[in-house]
Amino acid sequence: MRIATLKTSYAGDEALFDTKLQRSLLALFGLVLAVFPFVAGPYWLFMACLVAINVASATGLNILTGYTGLVSLGQAAFMGVGAYTVAILELRVGTPFPVNLLAAGATTALVGAVVGLPSLRVKGLYLAIATIGASVILHFVFANWSLTGEARGLSMPPARLFGNDLDQPFELYWVIVPITAAMILGAANLFRTRIGRAFIAIRDRDISAEVLGIPLLRYKLTSFAISSFYAGVAGGLWAYFFRVVTPESFPLINSIFYLAAIIVGGMGTILGGILGAAFMTMVPEVLKLVVGWFSPYFPDALAALAPIRTIVFGALIVGFLIFEPQGLAEIWARVRRFFHLWPFKT
Amino acid sequence: MSECWTRRGLIGLAAATSFALVQGAQAQAQDDIVLGASVPITGVFAFAGVGIHAGIQDYLKIVNDAGGVKGRKIKYVAEDTAYKVDASVAAFNKITSQEKVSLYYGDSTGFSKTINPELERRGTILMAGASFASELNDPKKYPFQFMSGPDYTEMFGILMRYIAKEKPGARIAFVYSDTEFGRDPIEPGTKLAKELGLNVVERIVTPPTSVDVSTEVLKLRRANPDYTIFHGYVLAPIPEFITQAKQMNLRSQFMGTFWSMDNSMVQRMGEAADGFMGVMPYRYYYEKDANAPMLDKIRQMRPEYQSNAYMQGFVTAMLMVEAVKRTLEAGKELNGTNLKASLNTIKDYDTGGIFGVPISIPGNSVPVGRIYRFDAKAKQMVPASDWIRL
Amino acid sequence: MTDWLFLAEVCLAGIGAGALYALTGVAFVLIYKATRVVNLAIGEILMLGGYAFLGFAAGWGLPAWAALPLAVLCGGLFGAVVERTLIRPMLGESPISVFMVTVGLGSMLVGAVELGWGADPLRLPEFVPNRPVFIGEAYLAPKVAYGFVAASLVIAAFVLAFRFSRSGVALRATAGDQGAAYSVGIDVPRVFSLAWTAACATAAGAGVLVGSIGGISPTMGVFGLSVLVVVIVGGLDSIMGALVGGLLVGLIEALAGAFLGGEYKLLATFGLLILILMLRPYGLFGTHEIERL
Repeated sequence: MRIATLKTSYAGDEALFDTKLQRSLLALFGLVLAVFPFVAGPYWLFMACLVAINVASATGLNILTGYTGLVSLGQAAFMGVGAYTVAILELRVGTPFPVNLLAAGATTALVGAVVGLPSLRVKGLYLAIATIGASVILHFVFANWSLTGEARGLSMPPARLFGNDLDQPFELYWVIVPITAAMILGAANLFRTRIGRAFIAIRDRDISAEVLGIPLLRYKLTSFAISSFYAGVAGGLWAYFFRVVTPESFPLINSIFYLAAIIVGGMGTILGGILGAAFMTMVPEVLKLVVGWFSPYFPDALAALAPIRTIVFGALIVGFLIFEPQGLAEIWARVRRFFHLWPFKT
Repeated sequence: MSECWTRRGLIGLAAATSFALVQGAQAQAQDDIVLGASVPITGVFAFAGVGIHAGIQDYLKIVNDAGGVKGRKIKYVAEDTAYKVDASVAAFNKITSQEKVSLYYGDSTGFSKTINPELERRGTILMAGASFASELNDPKKYPFQFMSGPDYTEMFGILMRYIAKEKPGARIAFVYSDTEFGRDPIEPGTKLAKELGLNVVERIVTPPTSVDVSTEVLKLRRANPDYTIFHGYVLAPIPEFITQAKQMNLRSQFMGTFWSMDNSMVQRMGEAADGFMGVMPYRYYYEKDANAPMLDKIRQMRPEYQSNAYMQGFVTAMLMVEAVKRTLEAGKELNGTNLKASLNTIKDYDTGGIFGVPISIPGNSVPVGRIYRFDAKAKQMVPASDWIRL
Repeated sequence: MTDWLFLAEVCLAGIGAGALYALTGVAFVLIYKATRVVNLAIGEILMLGGYAFLGFAAGWGLPAWAALPLAVLCGGLFGAVVERTLIRPMLGESPISVFMVTVGLGSMLVGAVELGWGADPLRLPEFVPNRPVFIGEAYLAPKVAYGFVAASLVIAAFVLAFRFSRSGVALRATAGDQGAAYSVGIDVPRVFSLAWTAACATAAGAGVLVGSIGGISPTMGVFGLSVLVVVIVGGLDSIMGALVGGLLVGLIEALAGAFLGGEYKLLATFGLLILILMLRPYGLFGTHEIERL
């Protein structure tokens, strides 16, 4: 039970982690993440890396959609821009991989800002549809430009660090997870700054935000750029992880996946992006496991797996929107409140 | 912000991920040889995946019932991938972490390309798969992979060699889908056509989502080819294409490549199927007249029709097992290099009649095939040429 | 000379395909006009119509003239159920949430169809007369031609119903001002239900037509993407817009496909989409109501 939350300074009130317990548990979680690769098998490491990449991308989308209120169905295509940037730099220029990742982020941010231009004229669903258009056009570019290897795509060498090839999930884990953690921390801190608060103001009521002196044009494009930067870096990590980038790697359904992830996780909360992406990535694997248990009794169970997966994916979106619009983060907050108030109110 | 950025959230994640502690590498029970597989049992490629899955299982059953290879059984460990590359790689990681895998079956071109560096690093696995991509037919770049048939360019080669013999200087058109699969043999195919003295008059791309092909058919009519080769499709939009073209009195002969050649798929084309031709490296399930003991065995095991994907899985398993056998007989260690070397020693090898002629595998592919034509009366694909070797 | 013929044929093919877009676009507009819901599941409802037809015609062995109305009925029933169970609870939520509900619905439909019929592409039984149609010298694929006729009839029926029937007027009143419609005694929830029923029935019918041309598969829902362009170009709340937008998109796709190559089809339509969004975000015929900033 928590007795009180007495804050004696603004800094204390704004702190990301406000109690000692919170800080110590976070440290513990960090420790778990550090020990994890040594005890887990390659399969679980692979999944952990995939989750981390998806978390990074979903957090980016959350900045745009959850915090600024601009819906985008272009996140997967933006990841594609990042992945191709990394692959091209790796193949043609040969710059070290941290530079490539930053360049991927920067290029994607630029592309994102251009795609964000229609947001000045249209919003809401029209914007969502405009971003679908942008993904179709980006896909066309990927599939037809000689620089991006046309339909065959690009196969690239692994990332190199201090003369070592990073080509195993175990090694990549040490790149992907810290970068994702840094990106999450960055996003959390963003909303303690003027820029982040401006985003929230635009989301809540854009006209009032403009009256308050927030230039909409600049901040909407900034939001697009930051969100795309996240997608670009996530795409770059994706490229290093799979090392083959083809136009078919980033279909529209993946954009829907990321939007679904932040809906299920909880829009407009950092935790939501993390929980949602982890949850949505793991659901298919868990389903496979469950269906595996049934298969001795129902030999056809495996054949039904893909349809079930598709149905569950849709049902999760619909179910969360109707019954728990705040997402997993809200469920989490409820559990937390319960313990805060326990045993006085149950 | 502190409200959402909670410690428990992070712990929850930790709990979720610590499942890993339970999963360790399992020790292998005996000295079984393991054939791992990423099979698309569900999803868009399911029709093939189901057949492949059954084909591999059946051949391994035959081998294991006969005592295995030098007394060692072959164990088949498969995971469904729904034809998604990341799921495929996940399956590969899962299977290789639990078993000592020597053979692997991959489900897509994307997977074969993605996993190749990992295969080279491990050097312990020989892999084949459902992809006949021309790119994979390069022993230097893909030293531990092979395909149990001609690659897509070689399929085009077989078709065009047939065309060149039937009608020298014929006008041909390519119709292909705007995917990696579809575009694969188009450039080399065009070059090859020139060498064979054929005239490629039109190359038509269809977007993968297209429903209505009227415009494309109009283009085809304007080009007025003698032969039209479809590539990159399973079924749609081939039937509508042919139907409309026939209505326009187009006298073109329509042809397909391996994945659109399954008998049950061609039957689904309805009237358009009549006279449809294409290239097949294997005999069909129902060919009784041929001297093919293996087909008899298959018909015994499975009384109902089996697809060409089944044959592909079956024969792939056969070639893999043959490579294992030759490696063990030579007293060598089972690793990628030795397995591939043994595979390449296969010369004039009789597959029990599944390939119509004895085959050799000099590189990564088996460049053999025969032209079949659909007979509307028999509702079957029937041979239209001899076996053609490139 | 022959090139003119070719151009004419391409245009005819484009307009024929455009009619199917227009028909689906009308279904889309109907829902948007009445309930302000952007229904991204429209492509999947099309697919459902195709499979329902297959179920009745091939599964139960009914003749086409019986299976077609049954498939349309199925679509309508489905629309009513969806409106009641999924859309009504979302009343008053942000448009984005409702939009995502329809995305989820689409995914569930795809899964359900795969569960029932498998993921393989299938062909519908032939029911359209197979004799080629010639307009002058220009050839037109019969399925496209009959699809065009059917689509025009349905759209004409809708336009008339909107103008003269009681429900049509109620629907227009609701679209104009929900509060006012309530106060003059229009049962607005019933109008919502009606709009969904009619729209999904139309979409199911369109699905049978589309399926008869290109075959059906669980992925045929992507047809809905092009329809999205159609309604944005025409204006989300204009039947007339859907008609013009549909024909325009069909024409542009055909011309791009014929003269640039198949890979340019989607690029051309979505390029048009972006252009329209930048120049006339409310579409060619839509109500000028979008807040501009």
